[in-house]
Amino acid sequence: MFSRKLIALVGAAAVMAAACSSGSTPSPSAAASGGGGEDCVVGVSWNNFQQPRWAATDEPGIKDTVEAAGGKYISADANLVNEQQLTDVDSLISQGAKVLILLAQDQNAILPAVQKAKDAGIPVIAYDRLIEDTSVLYLTFDNVAVGKAQAAALFEKVPTGNYVLIKGDPGDPNASTFLPQGWDDAGLKDKVASGDITILNGPDGTFTDAWKTEKAQSNMEAIIDKANADGNKIDAILAENDSTALGVVAALTAKNYGFPPLSGQDGDPANLNNVALGKQYVDVWKNSLELGKAAGQAALQLCAGTAIADLSITVDPSVQPPTGAAPTDFTTPGSNVVKAFILQPTPVTADTLNLPIDAGWYATKDDICKGVDPATGPAACK
Amino acid sequence: MTVAERTPLVEMQHVNVAFGGVHAVQDVTIDLYAGEVIGLVGGNGAGKSTLMRVLSGAHPADSGSVLIDGKPVSINNPRDAKAYNIETIYQTLALADNVDAPGNLFLGREKTTRLGSLDDSAMESETRKVMGRLNPNFTRFKMPVKSLSGGQRQAVAIARAVYFNARILIMDEPTAALGPAETAQVRNLIRQLKDEGIGIFLISHDIHDVFDLSDRISVMYHGEIVGTVNKDEVTTDEVLGMIILGKPPTEVTESELAALHV
Amino acid sequence: MTNVADAAPASGQVQPPARTSIRGLIAQTEIDLRLFGMLLALGVILLTFNILSGGKFFQPTNMVTLAVQASGVAVIATGMVLVIVSRNIDLSVGSLVGVIAMTYALLMTDWMPNVLGMGPDFPFRWLIALGLGIGLGALVGGLQGFIIAYIGVPSFIVTLGGLLSIRGVVWYLSSGAARSGLDPDFQLIGGGAQGSIGGTLTWILALVGCLAIVLLLINGRRQRRRFDFPVRPVWAEVLLGVLGCAAVVAVAAFANANLWPEGLAARIAARDNWGPTPEGGWQIPTGFPYPMVLLLGVTLVMAWLATRRRFGRYVYAYGGNPDAAELAGINTRWTILKTFVLMGILCAIAAAIASARLNGATLDVGQSYELYVIAAAVVGGTSFAGGIGSIPGAVLGAFVMQSLAYGLSFMGVNSPGQNVVAGIVLIIAVGFDTLNRRRGS
Repeated sequence: MFSRKLIALVGAAAVMAAACSSGSTPSPSAAASGGGGEDCVVGVSWNNFQQPRWAATDEPGIKDTVEAAGGKYISADANLVNEQQLTDVDSLISQGAKVLILLAQDQNAILPAVQKAKDAGIPVIAYDRLIEDTSVLYLTFDNVAVGKAQAAALFEKVPTGNYVLIKGDPGDPNASTFLPQGWDDAGLKDKVASGDITILNGPDGTFTDAWKTEKAQSNMEAIIDKANADGNKIDAILAENDSTALGVVAALTAKNYGFPPLSGQDGDPANLNNVALGKQYVDVWKNSLELGKAAGQAALQLCAGTAIADLSITVDPSVQPPTGAAPTDFTTPGSNVVKAFILQPTPVTADTLNLPIDAGWYATKDDICKGVDPATGPAACK
Repeated sequence: MTVAERTPLVEMQHVNVAFGGVHAVQDVTIDLYAGEVIGLVGGNGAGKSTLMRVLSGAHPADSGSVLIDGKPVSINNPRDAKAYNIETIYQTLALADNVDAPGNLFLGREKTTRLGSLDDSAMESETRKVMGRLNPNFTRFKMPVKSLSGGQRQAVAIARAVYFNARILIMDEPTAALGPAETAQVRNLIRQLKDEGIGIFLISHDIHDVFDLSDRISVMYHGEIVGTVNKDEVTTDEVLGMIILGKPPTEVTESELAALHV
Repeated sequence: MTNVADAAPASGQVQPPARTSIRGLIAQTEIDLRLFGMLLALGVILLTFNILSGGKFFQPTNMVTLAVQASGVAVIATGMVLVIVSRNIDLSVGSLVGVIAMTYALLMTDWMPNVLGMGPDFPFRWLIALGLGIGLGALVGGLQGFIIAYIGVPSFIVTLGGLLSIRGVVWYLSSGAARSGLDPDFQLIGGGAQGSIGGTLTWILALVGCLAIVLLLINGRRQRRRFDFPVRPVWAEVLLGVLGCAAVVAVAAFANANLWPEGLAARIAARDNWGPTPEGGWQIPTGFPYPMVLLLGVTLVMAWLATRRRFGRYVYAYGGNPDAAELAGINTRWTILKTFVLMGILCAIAAAIASARLNGATLDVGQSYELYVIAAAVVGGTSFAGGIGSIPGAVLGAFVMQSLAYGLSFMGVNSPGQNVVAGIVLIIAVGFDTLNRRRGS
């Protein structure tokens, strides 16, 4: 009887989630008449607008860029449901979208929507998440580079010693493939092979269900207990993102362990604060304001009829791809070749906390410097 | 057996109960004297249980009145009924299976200590006393009543009614699930209670029990009272005729009665 | 209702004294076999992990970690027993914990200093925040309980709606971002070396516990004598007393064997001028962590409510036969409403532990708690048919499930492996129970 209730619960939840999904209310469609800034209607299909980052940074980046050129921004939120996203794309097209920016909930389930757009002659930008289709423009931060930046920063601080690896949700390719690939690119595999680094919770580290902070906390507590029992000292902790890093800090605090160098990703306010307080060493920040701007620029140019290969996108030098302003070829895991514009992440340590503050990140100086003693704290907090 | 009192212990006048489109009780007037047993009989769906639920507070009437000792009373819930010393032994016994005998006996009327906590020892002690009178061999005071036999469960339900000094007792099919020995016990109890001056409404489908124990017999048919007769003035056939055909002895024919036995 | 609050609750009639078989002897002690079986199971699990880890697992510091990790779910499970016993369910507990945890964080980082004018030095700020959280929990629980009991919407639907909508509210409150930086006093609720009651208090608690067990046994015997009921044989009473006291003292000793990290001790010693470091270090025992003490208090209160108060009697009676409860004149709707108010309060306590442990709150605190809590209650013997459930059992159930999760974590088994084991254990525990009941009836 309990399992029947569980199935009913999941079913009901899916139904209610689908019924309740709605991001920004789409505005009535503009009169249809060929490209140009004034008539450019940009349709954005979010997969999960509830995550704070999108509303705080990506949406303003896209919206401001588009509207500054006289264009129109419409959007929909699929609330993590694939079928809903297909419906959303339909509705965006019928509202007159000239360009579509898609944050795919699932890279394969989104393909029918992409086909629809192609049939309607609407160019598609795959935003932040890959879509396996040769006709799209793939706009993202380099997740492998994120991993590499995390590991490189820690290796510089702690070149040899005992490491703990904290990974995200086992079902997320970022957690299982891209970020660890970056760690290896920075030299993790070699250092383990040579014995410079020992992974205490190896060989693959510990995954964290749904990237949950609480789960990371209890996992880390067990790891600390085991390390103590084995007489090992933890020298550094490679955590894949900020929500898990937060749980790691909580575990370290509870055990009065001190704070070995710790990595993270996303530039969450609480974590940047931890960087200022010395509880986290590096937070690889992806200035998604710039990603949004890039998408906005690309959308406007595509509206005007520019081909994807001829796009020219200029963003802040700190994130500009080393290859320049034009999209490059990117080979996907599915062996497709897509045009891609891949931004560079920025590792932030206590010395460079001014970067997100100056860029207008949604983590303000007050957030970042909370509880920091100006006398002993980082420069950015004085 | 004569009934001497002038004022009836209980009077139910022009009671109507309808639910779900069914008029379960239609304009029923019935009374009960102290020390008397009224056998309330009728076919399935005749309305007997519903009528008694009005008296026990389980289902208030839509219209009509109830008088006790000649005074009108208002019974809106089981608590009200118990306040008037009306106790009911339901057909299903209304026992909580997972609670033990003392817990069931005092359900809703628990004895408490000075601090307001349950006084389980006192309740168990009282239960032992009252069960001792009804069923001296009963020892399983700490077990949930689910593990008791049908007769023992019945004894607990009866003990509950007896303990709280019922003046008016409603018994709905008390011997339906019992064996011969236990049935005899219950019948003795009913006679005993009658002698003590308690008025009893006895719902039973066993026509012999009804004739054996009751003083008057009220027959219901499709929600209405067909007639209330003195036991000594009718035959079983005439009562059957009232139950099955809905016709009082004055209106039924010999051939109709004979047809009942075919 | 058979008396569950005693140190060794009765499960049946005392056998005549002639029996000398093992089963007869055990029956004479009147120990609740099911609870005892669960204790044994917990012991087996801990022993197994200890063997697998070469003796490293069963150490005071690890067991304290385990206890703290289990406490939040266990606190809520004590209330879930009453909800399930009365034929209802509460799926909203995880979301309720989440919203209250976020409320604590927002109160202490934003609303109290900025809106209510209570700066960081405001006295007992942490207690006020806790009180407000409990009030919020009681309110939301009461609202759900009202809709369930008085309007008649099934509890599955109401609390499912609660699960979805309340989690959404958390997002609106926080804009999805994590909030951290709670009051230092509040953080102590989460445990840790400083969040524990210390060696002396732990011994005192153990002493009190032992005395309480002995007094309960004596009093129970006296009550029975008073009414001429059969009593346990003296050897059984003595055995129970000795075992009970030994268990309490052993747990206290174990907690006191958990020491402050020397680094922390040195730091506090320097700050508070304790003098020079003694030979071999400070060796300060932590004793029971506050979450455990909270859990103990909650368990005692809930068990008392369930077995010694009319409220508890009515919950169980309603679960056993709703009709009988109505006909007995019990105000069943008020009773059901109170079970949900209790849930809200317990969620607030668990949320305090969770947010104190995190020193803040994230969007997903408490997520999936309802499943862990229901599993704990069910493993502890609560039946979905209604009318049957044990509060100490649910606490034990929470510990059994958490010992598996922690043990597997300790041994390096990842989440998917932990979930597989948890699911299997749940099915085995309930299947065992069902078979047992069928055999018994």
